[in-house]
Amino acid sequence: MKGRLFFKIFATYLVIAVLAIGIIGFLAGNQIRAKLEQQIENELMAHARIVDLYPLKEIEAHVGEIADIAKARVTIIDGEGNVIAETDPEAAVLGSHLERPEIQEARVRGSGKTTRYSRTLKEDMIYVALPIRKGPEIVGYIRLARPLGEVRKTIEEFTAILLQSFLVILVSSVLVAFLFSRRLTTPIRDMEHFTERLRRGETPGTLMIRSSDEIGQLAENINYMVDELQRRIAALQEEKAKVEAAFSSALDGVLILDSQGRIETVNRGMRTMIGERYRDIVGKTPLEAFRNLGLQKALDQYRSGGTLVSQEIEMGEENPIMLDVSITPVRGVDAVEGKTMLVFHDLTRLKKLERMRVDFVANVTHEIKTPLTAILGFVETLQDGAIEDRETAKKFLSTIARHAERLNRLVEDLLTISNTELGELHFSFESVALSGIAQSVLHMIQQKAREKNIEITSAISEDLPLIRADRDRLSQILINILDNAVKFTPEGGTVSLSAAPAAGNEVVVKIADTGIGVPRDEIPRLGERFYRVDKTRSRELGGTGLGLSIVKHLMTAHKGRMEIESQLGRGTTVSLYFPIAGTPSPDSRS
Amino acid sequence: MDERKRLSTHYERELHEIKQNLLYSGALTEKAIENVLASLLDRNSELARQVIEGDVEIDKLDTEIEEQCIRLLALRQPIARDLRFITTAIKINGHLERIGDMAVNIAEKVLQLNEVPQLKPYIDLPRMAVIAREMIRGSLDAFVREDCQLANRIRRMDTSIDTLNEQIFRELLTFMLEDVRTIHRALLIMQVSKNLERIADHAKGIADMVVYMVTGINVRHEWPGDAPDDLCETEREGG
Repeated sequence: MKGRLFFKIFATYLVIAVLAIGIIGFLAGNQIRAKLEQQIENELMAHARIVDLYPLKEIEAHVGEIADIAKARVTIIDGEGNVIAETDPEAAVLGSHLERPEIQEARVRGSGKTTRYSRTLKEDMIYVALPIRKGPEIVGYIRLARPLGEVRKTIEEFTAILLQSFLVILVSSVLVAFLFSRRLTTPIRDMEHFTERLRRGETPGTLMIRSSDEIGQLAENINYMVDELQRRIAALQEEKAKVEAAFSSALDGVLILDSQGRIETVNRGMRTMIGERYRDIVGKTPLEAFRNLGLQKALDQYRSGGTLVSQEIEMGEENPIMLDVSITPVRGVDAVEGKTMLVFHDLTRLKKLERMRVDFVANVTHEIKTPLTAILGFVETLQDGAIEDRETAKKFLSTIARHAERLNRLVEDLLTISNTELGELHFSFESVALSGIAQSVLHMIQQKAREKNIEITSAISEDLPLIRADRDRLSQILINILDNAVKFTPEGGTVSLSAAPAAGNEVVVKIADTGIGVPRDEIPRLGERFYRVDKTRSRELGGTGLGLSIVKHLMTAHKGRMEIESQLGRGTTVSLYFPIAGTPSPDSRS
Repeated sequence: MDERKRLSTHYERELHEIKQNLLYSGALTEKAIENVLASLLDRNSELARQVIEGDVEIDKLDTEIEEQCIRLLALRQPIARDLRFITTAIKINGHLERIGDMAVNIAEKVLQLNEVPQLKPYIDLPRMAVIAREMIRGSLDAFVREDCQLANRIRRMDTSIDTLNEQIFRELLTFMLEDVRTIHRALLIMQVSKNLERIADHAKGIADMVVYMVTGINVRHEWPGDAPDDLCETEREGG
């Protein structure tokens, strides 16, 4: 860099010096040569004129002296062109000199001069000639000649001076160029290093240049620019980090389509939402990626309208998920490049809850209506006269009572559930010995079991720690489970209750039966209200469809949990996990 | 140079559009099958009527795609891969249109079936419908990804549909032999089954075309089980 600038400056100086010296040399050299030649010529001519004043004989006699005075070669030529006298001994004297240009010129114009190469002396010579007259008749010519060597020598001296000064200029311009370029390039080089580091993304600090000229100003501007740049970069990075955090951590799925409508970005929320089936969707259009009619219709609607579109769509086939998709344009820097953002919100849970609520209302209505219809039917029959027949009336009344009781049970169960859900059920938690409660519950259930010839066994380990529970609710939980067990176990089966400490400060109560069991895929739904595996059978057995749901709720209130294992036709095992008394619990619900 | 580039991107956009339209048509037919199955299982005549009405859209797309393909063939004179793509698109388009029609056929039978009590719980029919739908989806997936292996798997699925169809036929035959009053319903169900079987055939046809598009090998009239294992490795560039 420095070298280049140095050479630029140096070359500039050099070109200027060469041009100046060249022009001076050429012009001045020519001028000097012309002046010198003119001078010589004038001098010779002056001598010649003086000599010409004398008659030929006189001139001829004094040729030697004339040559000495004029410092020239003197030639005297007669009217026929023959050389009469010649001072230069080496010169050829033979032949007519009349056709020499200077002589011819002298004859015609009265004086002649010429500069030419003398073959006799092998040198450039200036010749001056005048005619010698005797009256009007030309009797001869006098010619003076002087070599130009003198002029050449002067020119050479002059050129030598020029060359010397050129050398001086050359040396000094190298020096000046070096100094100047160094002075100029040092701050520029600093700036260059500085910006280079900036370009590589390093933090270069501040540029230190002490100078008040334009370069100093430039350095100051660069410093300002760097500060500004870094501030903006930092702000942008922060902004980007925020957006990225929001983008990747959002539970909602986000897809961004490029201007061609191909998927450009997929966030983590989207990946988890759509699962394994839709891999490698980046670069595809949504139609290629999902082939989802609802989504496509929403996109078409967005494209024809260009405004925000929000629609519910269903995606996937085995476990379809309900999604709410909002489509909005992404406003970038370039407004022409229309990117599109699709935000997916998972509605599956919401929809499921909604359906459960609708189902619940339908179920409750249905459950209440069945015994009510029966009661009304029997009452009507009684009113129509059946009351007279005592035996029938009695039978009818007991049926009515049974249905009313079922209705009552149903309403009580519903109350329990809604109270636990609302948190209005009051629990009085205390340290409870499981064995006592289990014994009394087993006693209560014994009667029913005997009717079906079901054997009930219990195995509660002696060293069972006390558990944290509400006595009444605990009995209710155990009754519900044991009642179910007996209900769904055919005659001659067994129901066993066992309790033992479990890992994690818990006590597990297992109630196993040899009953009809539950299909595997129905197990997760067992806690749902009114969910029955076999609807008709359950109702025949007098269930409300709320038993397990209540247990589930009560177990949650106890900070415990319920697990169900079952094999179809083999039996079911319900495991109830209770926390041990004294275990610190994060929240003690009243 | 610039002009040529502009043209080529325009050309590519046209190809892209054909693909998008085909997939849209595919999505419509998938939905039609899903709906027609639901209308059968839930005895929902309204849904069945929707399927019949919805076929208009598939038919419209069919005409549109065909026109697009022909225009492209006439104006651009595509060669090699593009030519194979367009011929494939034309055939897939035809298959999809037929599938749409068959969904309509089934919907019509469903409307009749919904007028009379259900003969028996449907077990194999939903299975067939699910497989048929899976085959359409899979073959179109293969088309999108140019996945010859997947296309080949789809081709092999056709046999299970045929088996189910025969099973349904035998079962319905026993019904009809036992009780003459079931004949009408049984025949309707049999037609539903037959149409599902035909839908699966068309889905296999799509998969055949995908194999052709990717490899350049025509496998339409070959037994899927006979396909050599390295069928998909003979991928051909150009051709």
